[in-house]
Amino acid sequence: MTAPAPDQRAVRHWLSGLTSGNRRWIRGTVAAGTLAGVATIIQMVFLARIVHLGVIEQAPLSVLAPLFAGLILAIIVRAVAQGVQTHLAAKCSEQVRRAARRQIHQHWRKSGPLELGQTSAGSLAREWIDHVDALHGYFARFLPQMTLSLIVPLIILVYVVYLDWLAGTFLLLSAPLIPFFMALVGMGAEKLNQQHFNTISRLSGQFLDKVRGLTTLQLFGQTDTAAEQIQLRSDHYRRITLKTLRVAFLSSAVLEFFASVAIAVIAIYIGFGLLGYITYGPSSDLTLFSGLLILLLAPEFFQPLRTLSQHYHDRAAALGAGAEILARLGGNHSTHLATEDVSDTQNHESVTGSETVELNSVSLAFRSGYNVLNDVSLALGKGDVIALTGPSGGGKSTLLHLLAGFLTPGSGDIHLFGKPAGSFAFGWLGQSGFLVHGTWADNLRLTSPQASDVAIETALRNVGLGPLLDARKSGISSKVSEDGQGLSGGQARRLSLARIFVADYDIILLDEPTAGLDSDSEIFVLEALHKLALAGKTLIFSTHHRALLALATRVLLVSGGEVKDV
Amino acid sequence: MSELKPWLKLIYARPGRLLMGAVLMFAALLSGLGLLALSGWFITKTALVGVLLAASLPATINLYVPGGGIRFFAVSRTVSRYVERLYNHDTVLLLLTDIRVAMFHKLATAGRGQRHQLTGAQWLSRLTNDVDALDTLYLRLIAPAALAALITMLIFALAALLFDIRIAAGILLILTVAFVLATLAVYMRTARIAFRQSDQQDSLRMSVIEHLEGFAELTAAGRSDKHGAWLLRQAHQASSEQVKADSRIGWHQASSHLLINLAAVFALWVGFELFHCGVISGPVLVLLPIALLGLAEVYGMLPEAFGKLGATQASVKRLNRDCEITAPKADLRAASLPEHAALMAQDLSIQYPQHTPLIMHFNLQVKIGERVGILGRSGSGKSSLADAFSGLLGPSDGSCISLPCAYLTQTTVLFEDTLRANLLLGLPDATDAQLWRVLELVELTDRFDSEPGQLGTWLGSSGSRLSGGEARRVALARVLLSSAPLLILDEPFTGVDAATRQRITRQIDSWLEGKTVISLAHGPDALTGTDRVIQLES
Repeated sequence: MTAPAPDQRAVRHWLSGLTSGNRRWIRGTVAAGTLAGVATIIQMVFLARIVHLGVIEQAPLSVLAPLFAGLILAIIVRAVAQGVQTHLAAKCSEQVRRAARRQIHQHWRKSGPLELGQTSAGSLAREWIDHVDALHGYFARFLPQMTLSLIVPLIILVYVVYLDWLAGTFLLLSAPLIPFFMALVGMGAEKLNQQHFNTISRLSGQFLDKVRGLTTLQLFGQTDTAAEQIQLRSDHYRRITLKTLRVAFLSSAVLEFFASVAIAVIAIYIGFGLLGYITYGPSSDLTLFSGLLILLLAPEFFQPLRTLSQHYHDRAAALGAGAEILARLGGNHSTHLATEDVSDTQNHESVTGSETVELNSVSLAFRSGYNVLNDVSLALGKGDVIALTGPSGGGKSTLLHLLAGFLTPGSGDIHLFGKPAGSFAFGWLGQSGFLVHGTWADNLRLTSPQASDVAIETALRNVGLGPLLDARKSGISSKVSEDGQGLSGGQARRLSLARIFVADYDIILLDEPTAGLDSDSEIFVLEALHKLALAGKTLIFSTHHRALLALATRVLLVSGGEVKDV
Repeated sequence: MSELKPWLKLIYARPGRLLMGAVLMFAALLSGLGLLALSGWFITKTALVGVLLAASLPATINLYVPGGGIRFFAVSRTVSRYVERLYNHDTVLLLLTDIRVAMFHKLATAGRGQRHQLTGAQWLSRLTNDVDALDTLYLRLIAPAALAALITMLIFALAALLFDIRIAAGILLILTVAFVLATLAVYMRTARIAFRQSDQQDSLRMSVIEHLEGFAELTAAGRSDKHGAWLLRQAHQASSEQVKADSRIGWHQASSHLLINLAAVFALWVGFELFHCGVISGPVLVLLPIALLGLAEVYGMLPEAFGKLGATQASVKRLNRDCEITAPKADLRAASLPEHAALMAQDLSIQYPQHTPLIMHFNLQVKIGERVGILGRSGSGKSSLADAFSGLLGPSDGSCISLPCAYLTQTTVLFEDTLRANLLLGLPDATDAQLWRVLELVELTDRFDSEPGQLGTWLGSSGSRLSGGEARRVALARVLLSSAPLLILDEPFTGVDAATRQRITRQIDSWLEGKTVISLAHGPDALTGTDRVIQLES
């Protein structure tokens, strides 16, 4: 169904492609973050200066007051910059997710209904909603933090070197070690992280599957066994995950270790330097001001990196979700690519030109060597009622899909009234009817926005939904599933048929229009099709139903790759 | 908040683990705070001693205790953080299992009608997202908030001890405001958005699914673009709301951080007054503000967690509603069944709440070994009747008692598991030979014999690798395997072509020897072999 999972580089490439239109948001986020960092440094400078003047030089509060004012100002600037940073980051993520959703939607359009039908609507919806939302942390937190974790420590490092180059060297020495160790540990953790993501989704999949079939489990008295299974599998998974995490958490532990040790070493170095125990290097110039300032800046030096490692799971989540989205986007839609979507302007354009539906030596194979249709040539007249019959799996549906343009033939060409298949609006009735939560009118205006109330009511009566409509207080403006029970399968299909009535298409394709219907619905569908045929519409449907075969002006047998008149 | 109660009870069922996790968290936070505060104290002290020494005045300093303390905190911060993360992640996974299992049991006892009203997609989001919101509730929210409060009180005590009680009270006041800003205020300002958002998310999901299900029709009508654009607008609106919530969380975080810093400034300012009066020493003066600066890390994780609380609450509300336990129906099964009867329905009425009755005063007695067919149009209450026969649905009036039964529901339900596992549900201790035999009855031997996995063939997402007819026949095979004396088959042959249907009907006839079968369908050709047929009037 989906292509093999794309590699990480491809996913990262895709993710960075999403940012292309949103650079200014990312730049703004980084700028605000940098400002917050600089304000933090200034805050610490004031703090250390105040302590130095007050404690060592015993300055009175009146002297310190302006410094206190500066300190408070720095703190306020820092807070404002922090707030702006989160706001811009959220904005950035919003834009990116919008772009991703648009991309996926465009892909849906390109894939066409047939390929989309291969995957459950639930999982496609999950990709569109949840997986795209999983990108949030990456763009709002991880990505800007990555730049910040370079800029801010660098500024601090330069300043500390200026204050005391030996203390600066301690930071400098530990700093390159951190990315090195993190990379070392991260390489393993990365793969494990990915695995973790996969297992978690598989596990919830199994759990959901059990819940979905709960009634069946109850009927067979197997709920306790199933609960035990959930428990066992979850537990098994927990143990595996813990092994993974033991390694994965090492990377942040390394960071934590260096941050702690660097602070400790600097504190002790400064202490000894201030006591005058260290005769080497710049330590004789240390004052309480420079010493305290270095100590206060040391944690700020590591903080951006620590924040980055906290957001590491955002990256993993985005990569995991991105891989699934990309697998869908890069999915196998090359071989049977559906033709371009119909544009709305053509919606009500009348069909002109040739008066026949023509297939010229059309062949199609899903697997190589096995042709579903083999060199089929056909000419169907306008206004004909064509029944396609034949064994299941014989190619009836495939032929309909080709005529609808949901599939393109491997070779040969198809023209409907002189136009390529799928290039204009037509009526389609699949095996399952479809309805949206809304009123009867909403449901019909979905495909025919301009339809009048009268036309809608007429169409609904044409398919035998009149009695149902009469039972509702506000007629076509009442909700379809008002009573919470929804429609039966037959009623839903009739609703779809009503859409076709309203739209006034020239050609209507129907896949087994009466299959699985109760006798009531069946009669209404037959009557409706009869009316459409009388109105001069070209109808093509697959069926086994005797009454439908009788309705047809021409019956074609689709079997063994061939199409023959009966 | 009361909706959280049952789940919190479940979480608190592991008090030892939770306490241990909190202690580890506390150790990590305290180590970080201690490292900075002690280092600040140490540097100021050495600076003062250094000044005296430089002036050749007598001064001594104990280097070992603070030096050792600094080294200890450096190591304990690293170790406790690592152990804490590992331990607490384990806890989260344990809780996840606990919650899932508990929920499964709850759902298994909840009324079927409740579950019925939800679409598959809703379940998907409920059971993944909503449960996820619960399992981190303690570690993200409860424990950090409690620890932040505890550490705040410790700092208050420290301030009271080192400075004086009034200053400590002032600091406590500022910190309390910061704490409220980072917790309760965030919750209040985001809860409504989060609530609304989870509703929006639900309706968005529904719309996306409708879009996908109607994709062929929409494409044919040339409307898939317009409808898609509408969906994109809906999604965009939802994420705009999220930006609003995120920004609010960000501003709360920043302002609570601001207040913590101001508390440090306050401590320094009033500390100088005490210092000038000689009440406290320079190193002690420095220790408190630095400890306060370190508090920012303790408070740092709170706003985000509380910003999500509204969503968690919405999740829990939904979970509670969906798992609501309806009154268990009395089990009258086989209690007073007349001799030689397999099923007896007396004056049976079926009615969904607030609806007109589907079935009224229905009477039926089925003898052991009898084959009864029930015909009815869709909407005639056929499936509800089958549900009532099997005991899934309690009658609104009258009674229905029967022998233990196996029931093929109208919808085909297969599990994402092997063919064998799917069949064994019917008869857990069946042998492979028995499974093949029953597959032969439904004409699936050839289908799976050619698969490399044979009985181990994996039936993919909802059995999607099978055609509708094949899946139906697997489900039928599973019911045929069951040892129950009564079989209820609702539309046994959906998606199966007429020829195959007839052959299967013939083949299972002898297999069902001695069993009672009630089959329900929309037409006579969709029934299995029958001795008598009942027509349902609507």
